[in-house]
Amino acid sequence: MSRRRKKIALRWLSTLVAFVAVGIMLFPIYAIIVASFESTVTLFSTQFHFFPYHPTLANYQTVLLGSQSGTVTSVTISGNQLAHVLTSFEIALATAVLTLVISVPAAYALAKYRMRFTVFFVGALLLAQIVPSIVLATSLFAILLKAGLVNTLPGVVLADCTYAVPFGILVLRAFLFSLPNEVMHSARVDGASEWQTFRLIVIPLARSAIITVAVFAFLAGWGDFIFALTTLNGASFEPITLGIYGFLGNYLANWGAVMAAGVVALVPAGVLLVIAQRYIATGLTAGAVKG
Amino acid sequence: MHKQRLAGWLFLTPAIAYVLFAFATPIVYNVAFSFEHDSLSTIGSIGAPWAGTFNYTAMFNDQIAQSAIVHTLLFTVGSLAGQFIIGLSLALLFSNRFPGRTIARSLVIVPWLVPLIVTGVIFRFMFQQEGGAVNQILVDIGIIHTPIDWLGSTSYALLTLTLANIWLGVPFFTLLLYSALQEVPAEVKEAAMIDGAGAWQRLRLVTIPIILPVIEITFILGFVFTVKVFDLVIGMTGGGPANATQLISTWSYTLGFQEFNFGEAAALNNVLLVAALVCAPLYLLLSRDQLSRSSGAGR
Repeated sequence: MSRRRKKIALRWLSTLVAFVAVGIMLFPIYAIIVASFESTVTLFSTQFHFFPYHPTLANYQTVLLGSQSGTVTSVTISGNQLAHVLTSFEIALATAVLTLVISVPAAYALAKYRMRFTVFFVGALLLAQIVPSIVLATSLFAILLKAGLVNTLPGVVLADCTYAVPFGILVLRAFLFSLPNEVMHSARVDGASEWQTFRLIVIPLARSAIITVAVFAFLAGWGDFIFALTTLNGASFEPITLGIYGFLGNYLANWGAVMAAGVVALVPAGVLLVIAQRYIATGLTAGAVKG
Repeated sequence: MHKQRLAGWLFLTPAIAYVLFAFATPIVYNVAFSFEHDSLSTIGSIGAPWAGTFNYTAMFNDQIAQSAIVHTLLFTVGSLAGQFIIGLSLALLFSNRFPGRTIARSLVIVPWLVPLIVTGVIFRFMFQQEGGAVNQILVDIGIIHTPIDWLGSTSYALLTLTLANIWLGVPFFTLLLYSALQEVPAEVKEAAMIDGAGAWQRLRLVTIPIILPVIEITFILGFVFTVKVFDLVIGMTGGGPANATQLISTWSYTLGFQEFNFGEAAALNNVLLVAALVCAPLYLLLSRDQLSRSSGAGR
């Protein structure tokens, strides 16, 4: 075989291996989507169906409209998940907003103002990323309890920002280093105040990094389970992650409903992957730590 | 300039307040709780009875806590080894030019976007003994003859959990190592090739030494991420069967939030915190660029 033909064969072999690998990575997601359209009877059978067997929308009916097919013993199971989706959305949005409010100005100060405190604070942020969520969860529960914020939306949002704030500040700071100081300098010469320079010059220029951080904070808030579990024990509202856990809590899991609720929980991630893929890839390489 | 100094501090104020509230105070609290007799009624207030080292003694005599520490260790080592080997292989694969490379590379990150509790549920479903996709595939292609009880047997459950976590971490390893590989100068690889180095030698003696700093930081972040895994376990096994998949994080949760034994939970949390902070010096060292980078003076 000529060298050239060998090279072409190697390329197609790479394609094959890559797509097998991607297939394995994506198979679990495919499996849950197929399963979400099966009846619970099918799901409990001894046969796994790689393609929809008797497709039905019953699970989505249970999950989105709260039908009667759940067991009677659990309160959560009859509660429809649409309210949970809305709660998740509120939590995720609030987490993204609060993360930006805290991290954008901080990153600006740490990148562009000369302060001795910077080294100390950046070190603290790096260490903060290391602290496991369960360590924070136990104490944050006590703190929020004292503050009367257990079982409230602000309480869980404050806890959820622990994922995104250190990450957000570090990513934004790294980005802001690339802004030339002359940009801010000329704004000041034109008479802009520090705040005006930040709001009218820096924020628009940092837009892509801000979107990256917002996407990550949103996904962290959306996918959070541990802080919802520990700070919302007995709240009148719960996010979709707790809703799914509620389905699991039954002795016999209502697989169909669990699968459909799981798929519903995948939707925003899927949408963001399509519309913000560039930002997600940037954020991941910037050293995202989730969980 | 006073005005700028003031502005800098004002820009930082929300972040400082948040770090004090969400990181500094909880860590101090956690240390305090570990030396107190706390219950649900005292946890929200100051002044629980002093317990000395009681909680630590209790924890180190608690067989489930002991096994949780061992499980966390095995789970972490197994996960990181699997994630690194698969992640590096995929990163090397994606460094070649081949048709469909871009789309394959962007699809690899999808698992990372799935909420962890959902991942746990998916894997619980796929690893069912009866009607689970994994057993069915393995039986169909003839690797096993009888379905394995992946999640119900105490000897397989931790392995199954580790496999799921490897799946979860591969996108992160792949992406970080891939972007590091892009930084390896082509001339260096060509030079090694001309000197007669084979593919394996080039990888071991040229590529890996060059990307070593990134490998180190990826391991550290992967380690930090793995020791705190919680949602995945709750979704897949809930710590069972017979506590065979109980990790430090899940057992701490059970102690604190289900048995209201906040003291022992805090003691166990501190073990986890110390374990996580073991890599802190190395992490700070590798991040020294971020630390020492002088702020551009905006005069």
